[in-house]
Amino acid sequence: MCNNIPEHILIFKTNITAERDLFAVKTVLDTHHLIEQWNIDQTDVDCVLRVISYHLSYADIIQIISGLNYFCEELTT
Amino acid sequence: MRPRDENKIQGIREKAIEMITNEGLENFGINRLAKAAGVSPATIYIYYKDKDDLINQISIEEGLRMCYATLEGFDAEMPFEKGLWIQWKNRSKYALNNQVGASFYDQLRNSTYREKMLKAISDEMKKKAGPFVKNAIKRGEINEISMEVFWSVAIAPLYSLVKFHQDEHSFSGKKFVFSEKIMKETFNYVIKALKK
Repeated sequence: MCNNIPEHILIFKTNITAERDLFAVKTVLDTHHLIEQWNIDQTDVDCVLRVISYHLSYADIIQIISGLNYFCEELTT
Repeated sequence: MRPRDENKIQGIREKAIEMITNEGLENFGINRLAKAAGVSPATIYIYYKDKDDLINQISIEEGLRMCYATLEGFDAEMPFEKGLWIQWKNRSKYALNNQVGASFYDQLRNSTYREKMLKAISDEMKKKAGPFVKNAIKRGEINEISMEVFWSVAIAPLYSLVKFHQDEHSFSGKKFVFSEKIMKETFNYVIKALKK
């Protein structure tokens, strides 16, 4: 782990619960050239989506996920 | 970049260990951890990718902490008896004073996180303690011996004593309290068995 909290880590609450939901999101996020890394913790009640991107904002990710008809909201620290 | 809050991370780590030790892995989740540690789930997700990543990182750190405690003042070049005694003293001190750490380790030992943790421990132990047995064989102090047999004879008896102590009794409810005198007596038998 680094010594500072990177501000390019974006954390969201979603309803991406099932394996097929994950697959739908994967196709879009995997191919997005401004997303370095992403993962969803489906073991958590909030199905937390964690995105590493140096260029995209919270609003950008919410737009992408909402466009796929999933709920997505910033999880604040 | 905001500065990393080491106290906050330490608090998350300690709470996670406490929860896993007391409630087991099945009931453990980041949301529950966040509530117990008094931070938001998002804070935890900044430091850890997901639940698995958190458990893996914490278990590796705990495993290494145990290694460093075991190897304090130890050198693989030491004469066999002296080196083994230092390990016994370090191991007993760690096991008796870190009940939470030891129970956490036991919880993980029977889980899917076991592999990564044991690899980290074993890599570190091999680096620092691996040559110890080989050196003792080379110097003619002990016979050629497999690691499994070595562990069973040289280390496991200590953990039997620790277990009796933690249970507060040995056989048929007989009261038992660990002491350095009993440890030394057991150690002397181990040395008698192993040394040429």
